Amino acid sequence: MSTVRTVSATSAVLIARTCRAEWSRLWTVRSTWVFVGVTGFVVVGFAALLGAEASGPSGPPADATAWDAGRTTTMFALFGVLALSALATTADHTTGGIVPTLQWTPRRTVLLVARTTVVAATTTAVGVVLVTAASLVVLSFVPEVGAPIGEGVETLAAAGFVLAAGAALAVGLGLVTRSTAGALVSVVGLVLVLPFLLAQLSVRHDWLVDVAAALPGSSALFLVFGEGPSDDMTTSSARTTFTLWAVAALVAGGLRLLRSDADR
Amino acid sequence: MISVRGLTKRYGGVRAVDDLTFDVVPGKVTGFLGPNGAGRSTTMRVVMGLDRPTAGTATVGGRRYDEIAAPLREVGALLDADAMHPGRTGRAHLRLAALSNGIPRTRVDDVIDQVGLGPAARRRVKGYSLGMRQRLGIAAALLGDPRVLLFDEPMNGLDLDGVRWIRELLRGFAAEGRAVLVSSHLMSEVQMIADRVVVIGRGRLIADADVDDVLRGLGGPRVRVRTTCASDLERALADHAAVERTGPDELEVTGLDTAAVGDAAHAAGVPLHHLAEVEHSLERAYLSLTAGSADHQGRPTAASAGDGR
Repeated sequence: MSTVRTVSATSAVLIARTCRAEWSRLWTVRSTWVFVGVTGFVVVGFAALLGAEASGPSGPPADATAWDAGRTTTMFALFGVLALSALATTADHTTGGIVPTLQWTPRRTVLLVARTTVVAATTTAVGVVLVTAASLVVLSFVPEVGAPIGEGVETLAAAGFVLAAGAALAVGLGLVTRSTAGALVSVVGLVLVLPFLLAQLSVRHDWLVDVAAALPGSSALFLVFGEGPSDDMTTSSARTTFTLWAVAALVAGGLRLLRSDADR
Repeated sequence: MISVRGLTKRYGGVRAVDDLTFDVVPGKVTGFLGPNGAGRSTTMRVVMGLDRPTAGTATVGGRRYDEIAAPLREVGALLDADAMHPGRTGRAHLRLAALSNGIPRTRVDDVIDQVGLGPAARRRVKGYSLGMRQRLGIAAALLGDPRVLLFDEPMNGLDLDGVRWIRELLRGFAAEGRAVLVSSHLMSEVQMIADRVVVIGRGRLIADADVDDVLRGLGGPRVRVRTTCASDLERALADHAAVERTGPDELEVTGLDTAAVGDAAHAAGVPLHHLAEVEHSLERAYLSLTAGSADHQGRPTAASAGDGR
């Protein structure tokens, strides 16, 4: 009767299979392409504006390199990465797709590892490619600014870390909230809105500086631009803060996936 | 086969399933019956590892569902046809299932043909009718050619052709030696396809028996008789059988066969216009079994309460 051979699957095989399925799950819905397209348009378009201005009569700012455009557009790319990661993680929960997903991959740890890896790695890779493209676009407008290799490696490494940590945070919050709106609001709030708001208010309240410095968004700003709300911030403190946020969100989200009923 | 042992599932303060024990055996279609809210879907969700039991166990082939590495090769299930991403095509949905369970891609086309989804498989699910979603869900269940199949209300949204198709499909699976559990609120359907029934109400087991036994359990033969002198016949039969007035000119008699009823009418001088045995229906058995265990019972409307039925 059985025409399909039964094969025993090791954990490695299982995770590899599930990753392939997650990859396919990501790219077989239109919204992924729309998000990547829109983010690409905004990032590269903004770079083109920067380039056009720099090639105008006033010329590029002194000491500017093409990587300045990469740093500036990292924040745009970050928005796209956060949104896409949150959406890709919550789609299963908002559409009911988690029911077939868990029927096909009932080992939730496997699903957690595969989903986090594929979503975060893919969105980060897309973000880094766009930031690189933005820098190259500016370079094509004003070749004289140059694009020093060392600075490029530094810029892209910082962008890569910020985008990856942001993506992981978004995945974690997506698993915690199981709601696209909830995940989007919380991750965009933590990373892109609250640090700026608190920075405005902290003129009158010193303790707000410490709160602002502890937010992942401040870490992102410090790592990309070298500036943060507090003078005490260092590269390693910013990395540690952002990593802790991402890990905490993934642990909370992972526990929710592992422990609670599929779609309640 | 599926083994449910002492299964209890609470959601907050609500006991959706309460100490439920039954088996679903190979080679038979087991009908899973119960009023709305009886806990059928919850039970199936626990069997499929979607919800965690509060107490007890549910295993498939001796293992918990979430211990099976490539579950589609052993268990196929259609739980909720609406629970899928509407933006994906039917084929993409099935390809995900195949990828995640290491099933060759060619099987995707096989099952698309098998369920008759055809060219619609290339369209996005959001444009599907409920019937097409049911077919897609069934296709996913069949993908790994499993020995155990679970279907929650598979006939929902299917047209007459679809219902006949699924009836034959389920009978065919059982004939091939697979274990099939199918929940339905359509008693007549279950009577047509099931060998066994598991009936639950308010999360508790009410009956777990062969369909024939359940029908036999309703008592002796049942005869419907029509006559203009219904009251006379009712009196004449009252000592020999249970008589129920089902209409102004109609009685239903339990405990006597047609010959005995006819003879009694003749002896009483009552002219008969109709005399026939009534087939026992699972619906009737089901109603008598679940009476009092329905969670949401509608009250008769004023109009129907007043018409004397």
